Amino acid sequence: MTKQYAKLGFILAAFSLVACVGLSFVYAATKDRIANQASVQLQASLKELFPEADAFKDVTADLGGSFKGATLDAAYLVERSGAPMGMAVKASGNSYGGPATLLVGVGIDRRIAGVRVLDSKDTPGLGYNAMNPSYFVDKATKKTFPGQFTGKALTDGFAVKQDVAAIAAATITSKALTGIIKASGDAAQAYLEHTSSVGGN
Amino acid sequence: MNRLWKQFKQGLIYENPLLMLMIGLCSALAVTTSVSNAIGMGLAMTFVLLCSEVMISAFRKTIPESIRMPIFIIVIAAFTTIIDYTMQAYFPALSKSMGVFIPLIVVNCIIMGRVEAFAYKQKPLICVADALGMGLGYTWVLVGIAAIRELLGNGTLAGIQVMPDSFQPILFFTLSPGGFLVFALFISLNLWLKGRMQKSAAAKAEAKNQEVAA
Repeated sequence: MTKQYAKLGFILAAFSLVACVGLSFVYAATKDRIANQASVQLQASLKELFPEADAFKDVTADLGGSFKGATLDAAYLVERSGAPMGMAVKASGNSYGGPATLLVGVGIDRRIAGVRVLDSKDTPGLGYNAMNPSYFVDKATKKTFPGQFTGKALTDGFAVKQDVAAIAAATITSKALTGIIKASGDAAQAYLEHTSSVGGN
Repeated sequence: MNRLWKQFKQGLIYENPLLMLMIGLCSALAVTTSVSNAIGMGLAMTFVLLCSEVMISAFRKTIPESIRMPIFIIVIAAFTTIIDYTMQAYFPALSKSMGVFIPLIVVNCIIMGRVEAFAYKQKPLICVADALGMGLGYTWVLVGIAAIRELLGNGTLAGIQVMPDSFQPILFFTLSPGGFLVFALFISLNLWLKGRMQKSAAAKAEAKNQEVAA
């Protein structure tokens, strides 16, 4: 009887071993490309938010960490010919179906330069529409959910369904994303004020 | 050859996994909000189904019956992870929009069902026909449902705006009740198709019989 069980265990182990070896090869072959895709996407989004910028200085070390319910994963000081023109903050926070990651650009004029949703785990067809470039919260002006923040001053109201149009049937997602955007914006503004005062004096 | 073709046709209409066997419905209703998701999901499923069926059929004599389930799961999970990594590396946009549903192919009962009921007892070649029939049968239904839901629910097809701007999207079709409605319509469509095909097959057989009698 024991011999029988040992044989079964051996067969199971053999199948698992072959599967593991096979998978490790596939992992090794795709690992770099997957990491590369993420950084390509980030660079493309940075360029989209600040088409005139010529340098994105990584200042994550000065700004990273938790801030008003959002986690700041990375921060870039956006420069054009050496003069700062704004900040871009990559931040994540909890949304309806899990963590969502956003890239928020803030201009030197304390207005939001643009928002990109990099990753979302929300319901496809509902909250996930935050990532859909052909889903408009305002059909008449063709504004997407992240698109409506472009040009919004950080001192404006950020209340969903009053100042911010919500995604239909996805109020929790809308509120969560708005919260991340506001937190990133405030963090960027605080950093910009801090550096400009240091630079000014 | 004829036998292979017959097995392939089974999955498309007569034993369509979604419309006749009615298995694997949960993820099918979830991904059919857009056509590109439906195509991606359908092809990913077909790949995993094909590889798993052939693999298990080839090793069916070395897999002891008492531990066949864990071995099926190992094989299916390995192929699902391969397709997951490949999509992340080469089709990042599609992989992003499908989200969690690709890893969930592991527990899709269509694959488990076909492996258990078919591949474990049959030779590899006929398993290829079965897997392709089932996979494409799954894919055509997904794409059909998704086309209707995306067109009426969002006014687009595969992300391209096709309805005029004045068209007000019917959110109902994007939500799950709309999914159930369109799905039910497809079931009745398939039953009608099946009835017609059976009738014409019966008529053919009868004509042959009469010929023989004459």
